[in-house]
Amino acid sequence: MKTNKEIATYALDALKKSGAEHAQCLVSSGKVDEFNVDSGEFSLMRTLFNSSITMKALLNGRKGVITVNKLDKESIDNAVCDCISAADSSVVDEAEAIAPKEENEDFISGVITPDKNKLFDRIQEFMDDVKNEYPKIVLEQSVSKYSNTESVFMNTNGVNYNYTRGHYDISSTFLARDGEKSSSFNGYGVLLDSLDRKIIDVGMLRTLLEESQNQIDTVPYAGKFVGKVIITPACLMDIVLTALGLFTSDSTIIDGTSPWKSMLGKQVASDKLSISKKPLDPQIVCGERFTGEGFKSANMDIIKDGILENFTLSNYASRKTGFPRALNSSYNLFVKPGEISLNELTKSCDRGILLNRFSGGQPSTNGDFSGVAKNSFLIENGKITNALSETMISGNLIDLLNSIIGVSSDTICDGYSVLPYILFDGVTVSGK
Amino acid sequence: MIQDRVSPFKSLLKEHTELRAQVNTNRAVTMLNGNIVSNLRSEESGVSARMYKGGVYGFASGAEYSDENIRKVILAAEENANFMDSRIKKNKPMLPTVGTGKKELLKDVRDIEQKQLINFAKEIDEYISKTYSDLASRTIAIRCDSMEKLLTVSDGFDSHSLLPRSFVYIFLTANAKDGTPVELYKPFGGFGYFDEVFEKPESLHADIDSIYTDLMKKAEGVYCDAGYKDVVMHPDLAGILAHEAVGHTAEADLVLGGSVAVHNLGKPVASQLVTMVDFAHTALGEQAPLPIYVDDEGTPAEDAVLIKDGILTGYMNNRESAQHFGMKPQGNARAYLFSDEPLIRMRNTAILPGKDKLEDMIASIDDGYYLTKTNNGQADTTGEFMFGVCMGYEIKNGKLGRAIRDTTISGVAFEMLKTVDMLSDDMLWTCSGMCGKKQPMPVGMGGPAIKCKVSIGGR
Repeated sequence: MKTNKEIATYALDALKKSGAEHAQCLVSSGKVDEFNVDSGEFSLMRTLFNSSITMKALLNGRKGVITVNKLDKESIDNAVCDCISAADSSVVDEAEAIAPKEENEDFISGVITPDKNKLFDRIQEFMDDVKNEYPKIVLEQSVSKYSNTESVFMNTNGVNYNYTRGHYDISSTFLARDGEKSSSFNGYGVLLDSLDRKIIDVGMLRTLLEESQNQIDTVPYAGKFVGKVIITPACLMDIVLTALGLFTSDSTIIDGTSPWKSMLGKQVASDKLSISKKPLDPQIVCGERFTGEGFKSANMDIIKDGILENFTLSNYASRKTGFPRALNSSYNLFVKPGEISLNELTKSCDRGILLNRFSGGQPSTNGDFSGVAKNSFLIENGKITNALSETMISGNLIDLLNSIIGVSSDTICDGYSVLPYILFDGVTVSGK
Repeated sequence: MIQDRVSPFKSLLKEHTELRAQVNTNRAVTMLNGNIVSNLRSEESGVSARMYKGGVYGFASGAEYSDENIRKVILAAEENANFMDSRIKKNKPMLPTVGTGKKELLKDVRDIEQKQLINFAKEIDEYISKTYSDLASRTIAIRCDSMEKLLTVSDGFDSHSLLPRSFVYIFLTANAKDGTPVELYKPFGGFGYFDEVFEKPESLHADIDSIYTDLMKKAEGVYCDAGYKDVVMHPDLAGILAHEAVGHTAEADLVLGGSVAVHNLGKPVASQLVTMVDFAHTALGEQAPLPIYVDDEGTPAEDAVLIKDGILTGYMNNRESAQHFGMKPQGNARAYLFSDEPLIRMRNTAILPGKDKLEDMIASIDDGYYLTKTNNGQADTTGEFMFGVCMGYEIKNGKLGRAIRDTTISGVAFEMLKTVDMLSDDMLWTCSGMCGKKQPMPVGMGGPAIKCKVSIGGR
């Protein structure tokens, strides 16, 4: 067994011989080269030779799943026994199934041949750029890596997808320091399929570095008001994914606690809001080509002009509830831009905050949230004023999505998502 | 159990090099309203090497555990260290020595069959569904993980260690009068294999009854009045306060990155009542929740006293940062997977108990909150922290009032700790969480009930 396909074929055959009526298998292997910068200095180079096999067996409607990272025959034989044993111990669930056969396909995406020296040089250049252009910034940690992976998905219905992909992944945490004073830390990550551009020019990096320098001196907000909040693309992904997780995902739709459980096709948000997941969009680096359940991925709308078009359900949850399954299981979010610039959006905000990072408790299924506004600024009379500290915000995510005043025409692409700035109303801002 | 293939390579390890074979296992069963939505077993194992040269590290790992692959991994780590050293030329000296020795395995390596976990979950689910039919939803999640490491180092202590943990998480959801869902969860369990930690499902019934009672109170609960308030934190919150608000800022790599602790060593950062320690393996005469005897750089582990009587007295270090700060390395370098490099991590971090009684602490507050359960927490290098609070009560005129809905508290650690004026005379440990810092890591945390002032979110 030398290739991932040979390994997957062997594992499926072994699962069937061991009694599985249906089975699926995902075999992956690849290599990662990673450079670490700590406290502004190179600290580590790391090379990982990765491999894994995940297999699922259905035995009389009972499911077992196992993942191991060794691909030799003995390890796979042991994993097959373990998988069958786990399934045999489970309970019958008619909703369990494997994907039907579609047209099989091989996919290739991203950069397949890395340039280790160029990556090192780009990181060095990034460190120099930060030092020269943003002298108060300390790069607390920067992890830059090239990853390549070859994945093979097969199941006993004859599904067979191969996906070969490679990308650069740059993530940095940083803060600004001036004597004994420092800003909050902030972090930002991007996926790249080429090293043609300077790292510092990608996504929101320049904006966030500059803003961190302006966050060394902060003012705790005194008092409490209900006002507006501009959520930046750096923060919007977390907010949207949290809302989708609470209101549209497997667990809350299966148990019926989602407030949106009967809202498919109905208005759940402001008509200014459209949210899609588009792993196949060319702006996304190495997006998903097939789901973990073995369905070929397609772009999908979740909310269109405020109307809930789709939940984000797995095939299992779909069969359990009767609602359609999601066409992909990616995190490649797109929020449709508006027609107003960020500058105009800010001018239209009489009293509120510009929110770059939200550090909060896990919101309730009813959508209630509260937490600290991090790396954020006060907006007064249409102008960004003081950087904030010790300032909390609270509200309800359902109310928030229905209280959109405007969406910016500016968008930011970080390789994972393409997102605008959104001005929301009705958020409680409180300080000491 | 991992076969020892690494120690024969000890003589080949150059400069400072660590060679580590490791197996991580995860066993998971999740029942959602009687459906098994997760029935998963996973195992990640392999070998890694890390070499220090002139101020930089080279690291490599591979899954295959053979003599041939161990040689390949050592060579790749050396090549990476040489590449970095040739490009950067920091020319730093060798790492400090920490003595030599060997720590053998203290516990047998075992496994638990999935059937045992599924049967346990089914019995718990049956109890809840029969006893509490008015619930909107119930989830029982069983999680067992273990981390076995076999470490050989060029200079330092070799070790064979094992950290198994077993937990049952109970999530209950009820509908409030307005029809909105209200939820509450609690983890049970700790260090050890599942059958060592959980004798039988019935032993959890009283705790489940208690969660249900709290949930019903919460369903009728009120939103907090946002603002800066007097609070008593239950010991459940003290551990996360110790870990998030103070612990992270005292990790030497974050200190070097500019955390608030950099300018506060030797200075008062808390009320004189506060002493905080990152325990290695034994705390207050008993085994700590997750005992660490040798870290992944081969340093023998000992307690790190972070705050003594309100004064910041130390940081948590790896060998390199200890050399930088002129401190003694105390065994805080830990790696999660075989393919992870050691990072500076906490082990068992706790605020030590005081002399007060919980009822006296509550009685001393005219208008505030008693916060009893938390569901997450984050901290900033500035010391600003937040915790999610998923259960608590109003305190009015020294007495407990209505339950509260989910909220968040925040503060700045070294300011907030100065407001601590009472600590209970008991303490509670937990180790159900994973700390996130490039890699996840199981950690223990603990403390007493704490009376202090914090900002609380609400309406």
